[in-house]
Amino acid sequence: MSAPTLRPTGRTLIRVSGASFLLRRRSIAVTMLLLAALAAAVAASLSFGRTFVAFPDVLDTVLGADTGYQVTVNTLRLPRTVLAVVAGAAFGLAGSLIQSVARNPLASPDVIGVTQGAGLAATIALTGGLGIGVLVGSSLAGALLAALLVFAIAGRGGMGANRFVLAGIAVAVALRAVTQMFLISADAIDAQRAQIWIIGTLSGRGWNETAMIAAAITVLLPALLWASSAMNSTALDDDTARGLGVHVTRRRVGLAAIGIALAAVATANVGAIEFVALVAPQVARRLTRTERPPLLTAALTGALLTVVADLLGRNLFATPLPAGVVTAVLGGPYLILLLIRRGAKGTST
Amino acid sequence: MNPEPRLAVHGLTVAYGKPPRGRVVIDGLDAQIPAGRFTVIIGPNACGKSTLLRTIARLHKPLAGTVTLDGADVHQIPTRRLARRLAVLPQSPLVPEGVSVTDLVARGRSPHQSWWRQWSPADEKAVARALSLAGVADLAARPVDTLSGGQRQRVWIAMILAQDTDTLLLDEPTTYLDLAHQIEVLDLLRRLNTEDGRTIVAVLHDLNEAARYADEVIAMRDGRVITQGSPDKVITAANVEAVFGLRCAVVACPVTGKPLVIPHITTGEPTHS
Repeated sequence: MSAPTLRPTGRTLIRVSGASFLLRRRSIAVTMLLLAALAAAVAASLSFGRTFVAFPDVLDTVLGADTGYQVTVNTLRLPRTVLAVVAGAAFGLAGSLIQSVARNPLASPDVIGVTQGAGLAATIALTGGLGIGVLVGSSLAGALLAALLVFAIAGRGGMGANRFVLAGIAVAVALRAVTQMFLISADAIDAQRAQIWIIGTLSGRGWNETAMIAAAITVLLPALLWASSAMNSTALDDDTARGLGVHVTRRRVGLAAIGIALAAVATANVGAIEFVALVAPQVARRLTRTERPPLLTAALTGALLTVVADLLGRNLFATPLPAGVVTAVLGGPYLILLLIRRGAKGTST
Repeated sequence: MNPEPRLAVHGLTVAYGKPPRGRVVIDGLDAQIPAGRFTVIIGPNACGKSTLLRTIARLHKPLAGTVTLDGADVHQIPTRRLARRLAVLPQSPLVPEGVSVTDLVARGRSPHQSWWRQWSPADEKAVARALSLAGVADLAARPVDTLSGGQRQRVWIAMILAQDTDTLLLDEPTTYLDLAHQIEVLDLLRRLNTEDGRTIVAVLHDLNEAARYADEVIAMRDGRVITQGSPDKVITAANVEAVFGLRCAVVACPVTGKPLVIPHITTGEPTHS
């Protein structure tokens, strides 16, 4: 009898001589959908603002035609929109990596101290009169130092998933407390600037920040390719994964390091646009119905969320709100929803 | 009688935690596991039997001593390469959310796969064979988290079968299963041994099941092997008392003729500490 062809569920097999690849049909469809949604959001972000620019004019302006909208579109809106795409993607990737390592949907750079490390360093720079020039560098250093601290604490217990999250939360709380001490004792104007930086905003930022985040993603591209296959085994418990020949500790440290690096670079350049790293992977996971947050779809979801947050923040309110405030407003209820649904699941089954 | 052991353990010392404060669980243990046999490790709770199995499967690093697979140290063999020769089913593994039986069993192929070879004809064949050997082919499309305990355990066994290794190690594969499902799983393991020629090592709690299924029994207490051999030789009233501190009668099982342990009735305090 001819055996029916057997392969993992929902996947299309492509065999080319000795090589073989499995493609998840649903992930491909979701990726296409997210790309379309992102394109629409970017178009809206370039159209809407104090002056409305119709989409054909936007297109002409971006392509270099003299439409009279050059300043509005090319100078004011395009840089921050592209930055929103790139930073959102970085946050989405970072969240996806960190949640996979922690095996916990509530883990993200906001929770494990990376954001707070950047925030503290930025606060010291802004309130200590060090100036804008060293802001990016010092917040990057702050984020990485905080991550090192988390690794050092979690590493003493063999880098277990729970220890990693707990160590992160402890470091986050401590760093936030120190940040608040600095803010309270600082000059009011400096404190407000630091406050806005910590919340995360795209206003007044553009190509330089975009270049820095894009460079980080490009440099990390080989590592991300490794991560996307290494993440396959993170849904299994450590013993089972080890039995299948996975270097569990090496994998965990590698994935966490890539996630932290991306989160640190993004936070250093746009501040903590909160909840994007937390929400994007979970939304992506629900869309693709995979067992772990997928990298590419999480990146696209993160980009979409950030562009939309910036768009809403600029247009819906009399005083433009920083993107970080909008994402926090959207993220809070989402988090509550996630907890309620988890709780319901826990009691019903 | 067994010239070539599949697995040999020499002077194995295993501790949880670092040396000065760590608790030594296995202390200078020697044991040999014959190729092509069904070996069962028994012993009281906390005697180190699971730790021994885990250390043999390189899930735990020993403080001293060696474990060799066909003469090569398992802690030196690259872990992926070892996964193609030795499969291990840990105690109560975590079922990934919403994953189907086929997808979980296909995980067993990961030591044979790479980014450019994600699903070879050999993968397909091995997964189909594993599903049918473990008797879960008709469950292939079901989500694993909707299955009963016995079905689930057979799916996990199918996953390690898909690994296509000569040697299978299982840590308490029948714990949490009712009697009928225990027998189902153990019958499957015996079939894999006798019909498929695989070397099987399992930690079991039930002495009568050990006697019924094992070719070779390793009896442990306090991190040492007390005795090793055929069930007839190992499962005796004297040995059960020495290993478990339990006074009992051992009779021939009316069904299999293997030793059957029947504990004595004790009226006072339990005899073991």
